[in-house]
Amino acid sequence: MRLYRSVFRDETKLDINYVPYGLPHREGELRLLMEFFSFILKVQGRMAQRVLITGDVGTGKTVLSQRFGTNIIREADKRGTNLRYVHVNCREYRGSLFLILHHIVSIFYPNFPSRGYSAEELLRILLQVLDDQNTYVILTLDEFESLIDREGSEAVYKLTRLQEIRMNKPQRVSLICILRNLRAIDCLDTSTRSTLQSNIIRLERYSEQQLMDILSDRVSMAFKPSTVPEDTLSLIAELAFSENGNARFGIELLWRAGKYADAEDLGIVTPECARKAVSSIYAVMRKSDLASLSLHEKLFLLGMARFFKENEKAYASLKEVEQAYAVVCEEFDTQPQSHTQLWKYLQMLSALGIVQKKVSAAESRGRSTLVYLPRVPAHELEKELSIILEKEGSASQS
Amino acid sequence: MNIEEVFSSRLRMKILKVLAQVGELNVSEIARRLRANYKTTNEHLKILEDEGIILHKVFGRIRLYRFNEHSPKAKAIQDLMEAWEHANKQ
Repeated sequence: MRLYRSVFRDETKLDINYVPYGLPHREGELRLLMEFFSFILKVQGRMAQRVLITGDVGTGKTVLSQRFGTNIIREADKRGTNLRYVHVNCREYRGSLFLILHHIVSIFYPNFPSRGYSAEELLRILLQVLDDQNTYVILTLDEFESLIDREGSEAVYKLTRLQEIRMNKPQRVSLICILRNLRAIDCLDTSTRSTLQSNIIRLERYSEQQLMDILSDRVSMAFKPSTVPEDTLSLIAELAFSENGNARFGIELLWRAGKYADAEDLGIVTPECARKAVSSIYAVMRKSDLASLSLHEKLFLLGMARFFKENEKAYASLKEVEQAYAVVCEEFDTQPQSHTQLWKYLQMLSALGIVQKKVSAAESRGRSTLVYLPRVPAHELEKELSIILEKEGSASQS
Repeated sequence: MNIEEVFSSRLRMKILKVLAQVGELNVSEIARRLRANYKTTNEHLKILEDEGIILHKVFGRIRLYRFNEHSPKAKAIQDLMEAWEHANKQ
């Protein structure tokens, strides 16, 4: 019996909750957050901070604040400051201020009763707890939109103006609010909005190269050496980029691709593993899209599918797919179409999202077009096309 | 109050046991867990607090009871309960 060999060294490094030590391409934002809150380490209680972090899905909002939380707590411990970083996903608490506050109080008093008082009373209780324990809190409200949707201005106002009900007492609670779009706070009243909007960190979508760096970083932590070829990594980065620069999606894809490699005992994560992974996340191509293609479009696509099935490559040059198409044409006893016609097919298939094309980086001479299958495993595409072509062939003979 | 008087009530012993297990609880929750009446539970808590064995903290309308960590009696009772549970497990 062969020994099971996994491509993974430590797959927990690809877990959605894993917070890496370094955050590629978010170093500046991390430093900025540290700057915003550095007063806590120097002059506790004299001020509180409010910061908004905004950005699309997978731009690193949550991981940025969690890394910041870990870093600042470490610093606070060194200086003997009682500081807690509390990260709450508002959606998990259905956007209820009461449930969110109860969760925070439960960190200090695990059996704190969950009924019999209002959110306002709970807010006072929280401050009392913090006073008693002489503790400061950086409270991160992730998916902040959820709290706004449910509670509106009133709750946010209470959170941002905590100090007004306790003049001359230490300011214990600072806020980080994480949201996808700043438009979510438009519905808040002017005064609440103005207290929130002073410090905004906008996380831009990752570029393809940045996604490559992030994925490479994770590969070095999660996979055994030389198990994830550059080609596969580049394909995954491209897929993540096409998903609005979503790094989380890319990391998830990387994990799934590794699982497919392990399931087939390949010892290496091939581009086909990545394609299988993505097709397991998305609905694979619509069969009706394939059926509506003309004979030569299908043959062209079949040639492409066979090329990727036979070669462990993520990308193919136009010349390579044209050659594969010519072989298929021979098999189907038909004359191949011209290069110009194939180029038109490629545009159409690309518009349907079945294939993608990109211009290769300038090499020694000029630039060339590369094609790839973004979402569908080559073997599945080949199978599907063969069935359709067979059906059509038998229909035309009868 | 003499030790035999403190230990003579089954409900008082159950209150001490639940606090030893959980750490900190409010009156309603203690009563609910012991399936006892709120008023009776409250009276027993007062007796234990008068003895200095437990103490409470007020948060608005909530009173959270726990063992008094500065009381030698509380320490002795907790040790007794721990030893008892340990011996029963063996």
